[in-house]
Amino acid sequence: MEKLVPLTKIILTLATAVWSLTLQTPSGLAVLCVFELLILLLARRLFNSLKAVFLLVVFAVMLGLIEYAGGGTPVECYVSAFRMLALTIIFIYLLGTVRLQDLTATMVQQLKVPYEYAFMFTAGLRFIPDFLEENRMVTEAQACRGMAVKGSFIKKCKRYMNIVRPLMLRSLERSETMALSLELRGFGGKGRTFVDSVALHGADYLVVILTCVATIMVFYARMKYGA
Amino acid sequence: MLELQNVSFRYTPRGNNILSHFSASFGEGELVAVTGRNGSGKTTMTRILVGLEKPSEGIVSYEGNDISAEDASARSRFIGYVFQQPDRQMFMPTVREEVAFGPRMQGLTGKELDDAVENAMRAVDVAEEADRYPRSLPRGTQQRVAIASAIAMNIRYLILDEPTSGQDGNEKKRLISLMNALRKQGITVILVTHDMDIVASDCSRVIVIADHEKAYDGTPENLFASEGKAEQWGLAVPSSVALGRALPGSPYCKDMVSFCNAYMKLHGRE
Repeated sequence: MEKLVPLTKIILTLATAVWSLTLQTPSGLAVLCVFELLILLLARRLFNSLKAVFLLVVFAVMLGLIEYAGGGTPVECYVSAFRMLALTIIFIYLLGTVRLQDLTATMVQQLKVPYEYAFMFTAGLRFIPDFLEENRMVTEAQACRGMAVKGSFIKKCKRYMNIVRPLMLRSLERSETMALSLELRGFGGKGRTFVDSVALHGADYLVVILTCVATIMVFYARMKYGA
Repeated sequence: MLELQNVSFRYTPRGNNILSHFSASFGEGELVAVTGRNGSGKTTMTRILVGLEKPSEGIVSYEGNDISAEDASARSRFIGYVFQQPDRQMFMPTVREEVAFGPRMQGLTGKELDDAVENAMRAVDVAEEADRYPRSLPRGTQQRVAIASAIAMNIRYLILDEPTSGQDGNEKKRLISLMNALRKQGITVILVTHDMDIVASDCSRVIVIADHEKAYDGTPENLFASEGKAEQWGLAVPSSVALGRALPGSPYCKDMVSFCNAYMKLHGRE
């Protein structure tokens, strides 16, 4: 599962999203969640991602409880919770096993997305950890000047603006520097190539075919049995 | 007196010590250099002092009180920290408002606030830039604005993390002059630096951290006195000291002026 090309993983992700929206019973959605955990296991990502899965489970339980508090039946609550899990677990597999440069190559070469848009998407993903680190550094710098994000919710929000503003300014400066750096290295020119190949192989075609078959079966089950 | 007593630090309970059984005390009006190889634990030590990290073992004390559990915002009442990239904290539209940020967090208002800000700006010589946008200033000036922002809070200790890195000669001289002025006011300046010229010429004390432990705590003269002592910890020897060693009698020359005087004296031309 780890060695599949990004396009296959994207197709699998989209297919599980379709399945999670099509299935209407808690048992069906639970089986789908187990199937996704199995994918994570086969991709050797399950044990690394236990914390993320646990957080998703907690969030799903909260969603179910909110649905129940809002007047939903127990079945509807289970469906909401399992559906949320089914929609999100698969992304751990996608984002954990696909390199961003391969994702860009797939978007450009196979999905025919213009390179600038593909790069924008993956650059955004790439800078999330940098942004979080920058947030931590700015928080520390402001803490050293006596700023504590404590007190009532309104007070915390007001004080947090003292972190948001320098953070935004630094992010803008960073993106300007990045844009200049890209331009100086020929970004936007014609004839761009990619280092690695993202073409489908035998195993990819097999998984895509099985995915299509499974999708048809899910639709059939939904129509015939209301699954 | 600010003290670290037998402090150790590690990121996880079973991880390696980033700092091991470190003890040091900082009195009033010192200019202390903290130096060592990259990754030796210098910045970790200063982060523990200011409250950004909590020690895994040992205590941090101030005026005899254990402040190990206090966070950075609480310790900002007596200790300031200026990061290597001062623009990290800047967001106000003018220098005056930027310097006023810290005292405002302390609850100062009105005339008291204005006086604190004006005095701090004058002390670091940025009063003329008071109405300018801080992020548009040269890095050296930004550094001084960040220092002003700290001293406006009436601190007793100031930690500077590599303040001379990337600075031109003039800006370095201004910074050194400022550090000496702060010393005279009784503020202790703790300088994390690799610049051995400043260590030799201006610092009253040097702490060397090697292999995550305190390897040396004493005067720069004693550190550079014998050949090989500083070098064993990966420290560069200042040019003036190296030249002094080459002279008969190996006089300690803390800067080039001292070396020139020693040289002229040797050749009977004072």
